[in-house]
Amino acid sequence: MAAAERASGAHPATDADGDRLSARAVLHVLVRCIRVLGTARGHLIALCVGFAALALALLWPSLLFLDLFWTRALQGEALPAVQAALLGLDPAVAVNVPSLSIAVRRSVAVRTVIGGVAITAVALPLFFALWYYQIWILQRVNQSLRVEMLDRLQALSLRFHSEARVGDAIYRLTQDSAMVTQLVDVMLLTPLSAIGTFIYAFAITTALDPRMALLLAAAWIPALLLGRAFSAPLRRDFRRARETNAALTAQIQEVVAGIRVLKAYGAEARAQTRFEAASREAFDAAFRARSRFAIYAIALFAGVGLVLVAGAAWGAFASRDEATVFATRLFAATGVVTWSLGVFQFFKDRFGDGSNSVRRLFRTWAKVQDVAVGLDRVFEILDEVPEVQDAESAHDLDGVRRGIAFRDVEFNYRENRPALSHVAFEAPIGAITAVVGPTGAGKSTLLALALRLFDPDRGAVTIDDVDVRALRIASLRRHVAIALQENLLFGTTIRENIRYAVPDASDAAVRAAARVACADEFIEKLPLGYDTPLGERGTKLSTGQRQRLSIARAVLKDTPVLLLDEPTASLDVETERRVLANLHAWGKGRAILLVTHRLSTVRQADQIAVIEAGRVVEVGTHDALLTRAGGSYRRLVETEASSAHDAETA
Amino acid sequence: MTPWEALRRVLRYAAPFRARFAVKLAMLLASLLPLVLIPWPGKIVIDHVIEGVPVDPATYPFFIRPFTELLIGATPLGILAWTAALQIALLLLVGAFGSSAREQDQADAVLAGGHDTQTRTENEANSGFSLAGGLFGWIDFRFTIRLTQDLNHYYRASLFERIHALPMTAFDDESIGDAVYRVMIDTPSITSATHRILLTPIGAPASIAVAATAMAFTVANQPGLVIAALAMIPVSLLASLPFAARMRSRSLASRAAGSVTTSTAEEGLSQVLAVQSLGASRPQRDHFDRDSWSSFGAYRAVVRTSMAAFLLGFVPGSIIVGWAIMHAADLVITGTVTRGDFLVIFAYFVQATIAAITLGALWFDLQGASAGLERVFFLMDQPSDGDAPNARALPALRSGVRFDAVGYRYPDGTSALEDVSFEARVGELTAVVGPAGSGKTTLAHLCARFLPPTSGSVSYDDVDANACTIDSLRANIAYVFQETFLFDGSIEDNLRLVAPDASEAQLHHALEQARATEFIERLPDGLRTRIGRGGSQLSVGQRQRLAIARALIHDAKILILDEPTSALDPDTEAALVQSLREAGRDRLVLVVAHRLSTIRAADQILFLEDGRLLERGTHAELLVRPGGAYRRFVEQSHSAAS
Repeated sequence: MAAAERASGAHPATDADGDRLSARAVLHVLVRCIRVLGTARGHLIALCVGFAALALALLWPSLLFLDLFWTRALQGEALPAVQAALLGLDPAVAVNVPSLSIAVRRSVAVRTVIGGVAITAVALPLFFALWYYQIWILQRVNQSLRVEMLDRLQALSLRFHSEARVGDAIYRLTQDSAMVTQLVDVMLLTPLSAIGTFIYAFAITTALDPRMALLLAAAWIPALLLGRAFSAPLRRDFRRARETNAALTAQIQEVVAGIRVLKAYGAEARAQTRFEAASREAFDAAFRARSRFAIYAIALFAGVGLVLVAGAAWGAFASRDEATVFATRLFAATGVVTWSLGVFQFFKDRFGDGSNSVRRLFRTWAKVQDVAVGLDRVFEILDEVPEVQDAESAHDLDGVRRGIAFRDVEFNYRENRPALSHVAFEAPIGAITAVVGPTGAGKSTLLALALRLFDPDRGAVTIDDVDVRALRIASLRRHVAIALQENLLFGTTIRENIRYAVPDASDAAVRAAARVACADEFIEKLPLGYDTPLGERGTKLSTGQRQRLSIARAVLKDTPVLLLDEPTASLDVETERRVLANLHAWGKGRAILLVTHRLSTVRQADQIAVIEAGRVVEVGTHDALLTRAGGSYRRLVETEASSAHDAETA
Repeated sequence: MTPWEALRRVLRYAAPFRARFAVKLAMLLASLLPLVLIPWPGKIVIDHVIEGVPVDPATYPFFIRPFTELLIGATPLGILAWTAALQIALLLLVGAFGSSAREQDQADAVLAGGHDTQTRTENEANSGFSLAGGLFGWIDFRFTIRLTQDLNHYYRASLFERIHALPMTAFDDESIGDAVYRVMIDTPSITSATHRILLTPIGAPASIAVAATAMAFTVANQPGLVIAALAMIPVSLLASLPFAARMRSRSLASRAAGSVTTSTAEEGLSQVLAVQSLGASRPQRDHFDRDSWSSFGAYRAVVRTSMAAFLLGFVPGSIIVGWAIMHAADLVITGTVTRGDFLVIFAYFVQATIAAITLGALWFDLQGASAGLERVFFLMDQPSDGDAPNARALPALRSGVRFDAVGYRYPDGTSALEDVSFEARVGELTAVVGPAGSGKTTLAHLCARFLPPTSGSVSYDDVDANACTIDSLRANIAYVFQETFLFDGSIEDNLRLVAPDASEAQLHHALEQARATEFIERLPDGLRTRIGRGGSQLSVGQRQRLAIARALIHDAKILILDEPTSALDPDTEAALVQSLREAGRDRLVLVVAHRLSTIRAADQILFLEDGRLLERGTHAELLVRPGGAYRRFVEQSHSAAS
């Protein structure tokens, strides 16, 4: 899609296989996200402090319990006085003895276990609380990113949306954006705890034997080599997996949206075949990515595991020899001078922690590739610049006094497809201006320009002689309401649909607007009235009924400028007459711009602009245009009148 | 559907995969065996290297004895070398070489997810796992991930097929985002439920049995530890049971909230034209903001339930584990076993305990999955368009369609049509006329058999619609919807969707008849022009003509058009009506219309009001009825136009 093409230009690190992120760019993406995390800065700091405090608080007891259990209870060595005091044991039997009696060892074991359970019982709820807090914080971060993306998507022009797939956007909004919740983990918690663990293990190992510390450091070699070899292919695979899944989502959305057509034409089998192919493709991509990840993890474990096997063997050998530890003084407090079984267990745990932290770090690094690819897809949307934007000096519109005017407007949807050229006319306040012309003449485009859904390529749309590009978009759209040709309704109640653009409108205002649109009469007849839920896209109602809801929705906005695009195309003649009469009365002091084919509608306009092939060919009142021999309007009237005449005389 | 029924259904769906599940189960059981070996190197090192006890193979269980025989008389360095070699072999083959977590690898490829149900399913959908690592784990992993994916694909495809088979009107009420959510997000939960149901009840007891056996070989007559481990089954069952119902309802709520969020995003983005042009970006954003946050909240409720169940189980669980530790320690203290043995015993105990907890929590764990399963089966169980048992194919229509006292009521009881009888013939143009909301579209839907009548009958060439297969009926019908729907792609793609084999000439002829050639020729890429999402790069009038061309190329005997010309200018419309009359020479054409110019051309006019057929006849016949409803309609149109 366009977004991907454009955004890829911004990153030079694209290679032919679709890996558009270098290792550097991965870090860049992550760093960019820090801004998103910034919104939850206070909470994140509190969380880290909480986790760090808990970890520190548990460090000392865990060391103590290990020693108590292994060295004292299982091995039967005498307790240091501090430990005896802690456990409430009589120093006479626990401290000043060559070795502990079975009874004392038992009671040391019992007390140690009870202490351990008690500490866990306190720590576990605390840990859960912190964990829950973390989820809450990260959800908030994710939420703000989602909303920012949706905001951006809604600000992007229709040109973007015409090319983009809804399902892809949904996938980016939910699945890709969720990767932001991993940032704290992958950038902060895992690296900090892994590197912290490693340094601690390295320090302890150095204190025991510096040569063993060198061995521990060697765990980095296989990890770095593997990380280097796998990163780029993993990124490519992860991107492909995300793209194929997004495409599958898009396909489901599109098929369900068009299900009536597929069923009506018996094209279900073909849709099913295409779906199954897309589903397979998505699974295959996921399989490739995950298989590569799995083999990487297995290789990483093997590399680091070899170091661990060697380290443990070395430690065992030292323990057998009861070798003197390197930093004797450091361990003096615990009474450790030489290697022993207890020291071996302690060493093995630390050495294992150290080598394992290298593994954890590099496993995370591989996951980070996926996180970065996901977030990169988020930034593709956020980096998309809306075509129509507020100018820096944009100001608010404060009422409309004279009206809206098109000044020599030219507009092309794309090159070589001119939609409008040299369009010039005014729609003054207090008048209904009708725009007529053959289909495809550019009538709806004209209305889109008035709302700044697009900007003209040349010329300008002005309100009270001010170029609409000088106005803030939100302010402009607060002053201009539209009833669209396609009656786009939402899957909520009738009331909510009418006040869709003005959520705080009162029930009375909703009803008044519905009366203007002659919608009140059919709404009242429904069992649930205004609270009738509409199916998605309002499909429960007939087109004529939905058309009237569309008009009511525009009327409720109570704006000085009202645009109506074929407002009555699906209404019967009688209802149309009444709707127009109501609009006429309601529209006093407003500028109403009306696009229509129906002569019956046009006749009620104060002014008529005739468009043909993107140009305004005639402007005038009904009577004035009728008198023009060979005029476009006159021909239009004659065609419709002749059919009506035939009808009458037949 | 009770949970039990749902589970039985899961098994039924898994039946085609039973051979592969059997292989997976065999690998699962095989991966338990190396677990017996891995604590021993640690014990050998402690006992024979550090403590210097001489090796006596007789004290070792049979499976490790051959190895210890190698160690007799070896130097400590030699013993270390042998054990290291054993560990490295284990490391490469099964990715585990010791009893601590740091020395064990389990092959998987769990990637990052988010903090809501929706973003955690990608891992579920592609779950590959093995209890082992190394070479064995690699093979097991690849086999499992493919099994998971294939099962998932099977569910996705079945559900998607089901969506096609739903009645035409099903998605009037259902949201598109919800369907997307069910197919993408809910189906993987069935797979994870299947894995649990099929693997846990055998895998977990096997794991306990293997651990207990190995333990028995290590220390004879110590059933206490096995009993302690087994006690974790009722503990985890009883602790989780009170939360099972809540887990189920909260998981369901989390999925429902996720589906609402998806729907809101989908609606807003599909209808971005409405959002932008009404200046409603703000309300739409707020709406999404609310829905999204409540889906996050719903997920936190699931997390809270899991945490509560865990904490409740922690109390008795920690007492049991504490007792087991002390019991094992006592064996060391009293000199029954060595400290090395303690490690081994304890590793087995942990293994058995984890299996026991998994087994006890099976029901609880299934609740989370069952929420997704319920949502999938709900959609699968919707009544669908199906053929009657004795239905036969309807050949190309020869004479016509007849309505006999046809009525239609919506499920909520409101009546849309009542007692409508008429006949429409091949070669004739029938116009359906009436005020807005009079039932015209419903009549057209009934005629196309998109809806079955709730009373009376519709017959084709005197064959009741119920006796015809749906496929053969659809092959007879080309329908132009009131609101045209085009797919993103080229103009040609949209035409070929209904007639893949049509020749270039046929395409052009249909476009010509629909008066679409004129604007297509002006497009830079002609037929190959991409028309954007929903055809948004074309005007509504152009889209209408393309939809008509699509109906004509379908070349069916019944052509139904629901207000096909509402967005067309009178010139184009007049030309199109002419085309319809031509196309109608050997077809039955039914047009819903407001415009006199279209109606006038009809051979038969049906005038509807409030769901009843008030008048029926030709334009001329109906016009002469004084005070007739149609006459009044024409008069209004006339006065408005002149």
